[in-house]
Amino acid sequence: MDRKCLLAIGAGALIRLVLFTAFPSLPTILAQRVEISTPVTSYKRLQEGVYLYTHGVSPYDGGVFHQAPLLLSLFSILPPSTIITNLLYVLADIFSAISLIQIASSGVPTVTPHHVSPRKANSWPPWAIAAAFLFNPFTIATCIARPTIVFTNTIILHSIAAAVNGRRGPAFVSIAMATYLSLYPALLLPPLLFLTYDSLKATPKPSIQAFSAITMIMLSIVLMIYFKLSHLITGSWEFVASTYGVHLLLPDLTPNVGLWWYFFIEMFDSFRAFFLCLFQLHLLIYVPSVCLRLRKQPLFALITLIGISSIFKSYPAIGDTGLYLSLLMLYNHMFSLMRYTFFLAAAILYATFLGPAFYYLWVYAGSGNANFFYAITLVWSISNALIVADAIYAALRDEHETERPELIGKDVVQI
Amino acid sequence: MALRVPVNLRKNLSVVLYAFQGLSILAVIVGLASLLLLPLDEYSRRTYISENALLPGQVHAYFGGSEQNIVRAFRREVDLLGNSTSDVVAERMAEIFRSAGLKVGKQRYSYKAAGGEYTGENVYAVLHAPRGDATEAIVLCAPWRNIDHLLNEGGVALTLALSRYFKRWSLWSKDIIFLISSDARAGPQAWVDAYHDLHGENIQSLSVKSGAIQGVVVVDYPGAYHRFESLHIIYDGINGQLPNLDLINTAVQISRDQMGLRTDLQEMWNHDDGYRHRLRTMLRGMVNQALGHSTGPHSSFIPYHIDAITLATHGDGGWHDEGSLGRTVESVFRSLNNLLEHFHQSFFFYLLMAPKRFVSIGTYLPSAMLLAVGLTLTAIRLWVDPRSRSGEVEKEEKREKEREGGNQGEVVAVDGGPKRELFLPMSIVIGVHFCGVIPFAVFNSVDHKSMSSVFYISIATSVILPTLISILITLTASPHRLLPAFHLSRCFSLLFLGMFLSTLATLNFSLSFLIGLFSLPLTFARTTPKSVPSALVNSILLQATSPFAALFAVAGYWGLGVEDILKEASFGWWVWGMWTPVVVWCVWWPAWVVGRVSVDSSFVMAAMGKGGDL
Repeated sequence: MDRKCLLAIGAGALIRLVLFTAFPSLPTILAQRVEISTPVTSYKRLQEGVYLYTHGVSPYDGGVFHQAPLLLSLFSILPPSTIITNLLYVLADIFSAISLIQIASSGVPTVTPHHVSPRKANSWPPWAIAAAFLFNPFTIATCIARPTIVFTNTIILHSIAAAVNGRRGPAFVSIAMATYLSLYPALLLPPLLFLTYDSLKATPKPSIQAFSAITMIMLSIVLMIYFKLSHLITGSWEFVASTYGVHLLLPDLTPNVGLWWYFFIEMFDSFRAFFLCLFQLHLLIYVPSVCLRLRKQPLFALITLIGISSIFKSYPAIGDTGLYLSLLMLYNHMFSLMRYTFFLAAAILYATFLGPAFYYLWVYAGSGNANFFYAITLVWSISNALIVADAIYAALRDEHETERPELIGKDVVQI
Repeated sequence: MALRVPVNLRKNLSVVLYAFQGLSILAVIVGLASLLLLPLDEYSRRTYISENALLPGQVHAYFGGSEQNIVRAFRREVDLLGNSTSDVVAERMAEIFRSAGLKVGKQRYSYKAAGGEYTGENVYAVLHAPRGDATEAIVLCAPWRNIDHLLNEGGVALTLALSRYFKRWSLWSKDIIFLISSDARAGPQAWVDAYHDLHGENIQSLSVKSGAIQGVVVVDYPGAYHRFESLHIIYDGINGQLPNLDLINTAVQISRDQMGLRTDLQEMWNHDDGYRHRLRTMLRGMVNQALGHSTGPHSSFIPYHIDAITLATHGDGGWHDEGSLGRTVESVFRSLNNLLEHFHQSFFFYLLMAPKRFVSIGTYLPSAMLLAVGLTLTAIRLWVDPRSRSGEVEKEEKREKEREGGNQGEVVAVDGGPKRELFLPMSIVIGVHFCGVIPFAVFNSVDHKSMSSVFYISIATSVILPTLISILITLTASPHRLLPAFHLSRCFSLLFLGMFLSTLATLNFSLSFLIGLFSLPLTFARTTPKSVPSALVNSILLQATSPFAALFAVAGYWGLGVEDILKEASFGWWVWGMWTPVVVWCVWWPAWVVGRVSVDSSFVMAAMGKGGDL
């Protein structure tokens, strides 16, 4: 890490500390925003859970708290001071930035064993990528509002950083932890396997089948340890239904930036089970296709899956989009191949401003209704989906041009 | 790869550029024209009562006869207290309410804004509904002094008389609160804040409360002379929010059809229901909405999602007296009493152009949106424009170097021409937007006395600042990056402005429309180092449409001094939570500064001989 990286991290930490101290009411205001805090990550609900837990009541009774038991024990061990909690969240973001710097420095975004980007000279230096993460307004807002998604993001980034360096153990212990915390990171397992396998330093390399089998066994053991620990902490298996069950079955229909809540409010009960399966399977079908098509760039496949799950998962928040956009910065070198950057950036900006305005009209002013906010979440999701699609186009084009250099700069036309 | 790129458009950029230019001009023209079409019969609609439960004017109003004598007695009482301090007034009013058998509460408040202190004491009484469970309430309010600081003799007397009169009826299903606020601007705000436990520290909490407030009617009936000509219905709320149209329709229908009372809107006393008068009513409504200030005691209730109107008497030559006004209020209250749920059926977004003529949001929103779209289209055009790219020479060299330096057998691609340098323009735009906090904070913290000197200093600063910024940038940045930097900073600034305005249009249509109108020169005021005269014209045009020029225009419209407007804005921010100053200083002013920077840079570049091709 050079001086610029340290400077970026220092400035990123500083801006968060200044926001925490100069505007003491800001964390509470932001924590109540549905765009930032979801039922499965909200800091307010976490506090409620910790309170119940420390007073000897099962936090999972009552249907308010839907977060993993290890978070409970972490926050009940912490001294009950806001400064320390705030510092913990700032630290988490700093660790995320460090992981991003490690990923960028490894060169994996531009050079993999199967693919060397013809544009690798254009990629951003690591400090710029860390800065893009630390100064992303979505990341900052998420850090200030203190939802537990911050920890999931940090752990995912740490896992990727370990994977690009070929360190299988830390990579899969971390991804197991991310899965344990918020379930959907399980989708990232296959690309992470490819990524780790590609970056393995050992010679001769084991076969991919053997590698995967051993890794999966290891992963299951780690997950079982987490579950057993949770069982010891809470004294029952209640937490499974009330954390993963909530992710899967969507009992809490609080609005968020995703596509599920409105759909399932409108849904007749008899169709609910069918569409729940459909929506969850829909997320699953991207995994094999993305992994196979982008086999040459497993890191990009992984980032794409993060982007897809940030749109289609049951309780998304802007923190997920913040993670995806920050990771996408690793592929800055091929942005020149993307076709709609300005339009999509403008659409995201529009949605960012119109969303809170419409939510205000609906909930506070009473002059709008739920359709207002839902319309904006649609715009938000469509622009995010288009960013994912456009980035995939750029990545495929980049691969294509390595195979056929004579096509560089030529236009592609549908026949 | 079967993916499609619009090949022709990417090759022939000039087509795109012309198309966008044409489209943005078209959007602006259509936006303006469609606003002027609204008063026509084809575009506006007759008002109608949407909530059937209201049944306006279906009951007989009994207020009159001997009640009139009671009003006149109370009028005498109010007259005697005319110049007393607010605590004497409050004590006497409380006594009267108590003698009528009502629960009484008093509330002192004190606000500080623009170096002045605004104190007073509200007094109110709660009539518990004989047929209700105290979960809902309606409010009858009379300010002791109305918005023009006149003693509201008739209004207060009528409220006192109605409190005794309503007490005798057994049909109320909602509690009725009689509120005598100490003034028309700060008092109601203090009361409604405290009613919802959201009051500041210098405001007392309320000792007696009732249920959720469903509607508010304010009576403004000043002067010793008790005859009046017509009823002026005032409905604009803080930040341009409006009460539900059903409430206005109820009041209009009752006073016109049941009582035979003429109703006026927006101080249009001789409305002939022709195009011109409709347009003027609508425009006056838009100005009030855009300023977002309080137009009467009812305004403070509206942000709490409480529908409220003021009924003000107008003229003193008519044949109506307190009896007609009392019956009107009685009948409106009977209608409000009928409400089954909160007002929700009718429109919350509308423009009224005659007492019985309106346009709804679906018809008028496109005009403000089109102005914002015009700005956004211009931003897109500026982005697509090849002049936004810089560093052609540098990149060519780099490309050569990369070709040579690349390893053997490795493919190196450099994509389509020069890149856009985003850092400098982005930091100009974001920096200027953050600077907007400075005038906002300064104007909200200075004293009333020093307001005008601060105002002229800030005009001077605001005139010089853009020139300074452009000189600074011209001196520091390398010449071939200058024009693209100014070009892109305009692009981002217009993008932000378009985005803010379209968001604002959903919250406060009129403010968004007026700012959009004033910002039109920003779409064509560009950097022209080769042509100083056109830059001069642009500069003058921008100066004439600056936020300061708009302030002068508003001051001229109301016939007040600029410092009075600024004092009002500061008062609005501290007391009412009025957001107009935030929008002006943090959205509009930065966009204007960036526009001036790119125009002024033409002079600076011409003077320094750094002008490129444009």
